[in-house]
Amino acid sequence: MFRVDPLANLEPLIRRVYSYVAYRVGDGPDAEDITSETFERALRYKKSYDASKGEPAAWLIGIARRCIEGRPLSHELSSEHLETADHRDLEDDALRRIALSGAVGRLEERDRELIALRYGADLTARQIADVLGAKTNTVEVALHRALGRLRAHLEGGDSAPVRKSQAGR
Amino acid sequence: MRSWRRNRETGLEAELRANRPEPSRELVHQLEARVRQDGRQARGGFRVAFVSAIAVGMLAALGSVGGFAYAATGVGDAVAKATRIVHVHGVTQVHKSAARDQYGKPKAKKCRKGTKRVKGKCRKVKKARGVNFRKPPFTG
Repeated sequence: MFRVDPLANLEPLIRRVYSYVAYRVGDGPDAEDITSETFERALRYKKSYDASKGEPAAWLIGIARRCIEGRPLSHELSSEHLETADHRDLEDDALRRIALSGAVGRLEERDRELIALRYGADLTARQIADVLGAKTNTVEVALHRALGRLRAHLEGGDSAPVRKSQAGR
Repeated sequence: MRSWRRNRETGLEAELRANRPEPSRELVHQLEARVRQDGRQARGGFRVAFVSAIAVGMLAALGSVGGFAYAATGVGDAVAKATRIVHVHGVTQVHKSAARDQYGKPKAKKCRKGTKRVKGKCRKVKKARGVNFRKPPFTG
């Protein structure tokens, strides 16, 4: 039987996985480590990839999710990076990028994951539903709400992580 | 002023896509090299398996049409020819040559009358006593 190589078109896959991981844990060495670990696992279990169950990107994102779950991380790093970088005289787009990643970092874990899956890994709502084991409609609604909360953070300029403020609810 | 404030309803998703974190070039190269190395190892194993399969297939095909006996005969012939070519002969003596004819045959010494050559030496021939063979009479 002829097998499909899930890592045939590698570079876009690396970019998508890294973007997803970086949206989840923050841009930097942690994200690089998790991306490397993801591809190591993908190489090890390449034979278990089933093309009928989904695209290689979705398969890799599933592996990346498990890598993130099995790894203790300091999520506050991205916020610190934002504060120190804010004082520098950076270009407007660089500032915007930092502010955006900071706002994503302040979102709840669930919202951040949805944003990462949709805009980092570039998965469709249906693919996200497959990854999370939810309905497509539920994913679309949750994503819409997550975007609303992100917008509120960006407009409010609130620097405190939402996760901490909402923990008491 | 931040751009998402200007077009916040439509631009945020585009902003998220456009400004998504990108991996460093080193990371991309490192991972590509790692995957390539793994692929090379896998291809090596595949090649060995492929060549083995081809060899087994050819042997099966040959065996089915009696190719082994044909091949064995061919090999036997080839070995025989090679042996004949490679075999080291001793010094060849040409017994009948012009040089030998030049000097003629070596003369063998004649034995004296009443002697006979026995094992290279001339010895007396003893007549058996009392035994006389008469010639049969001439009858014309």
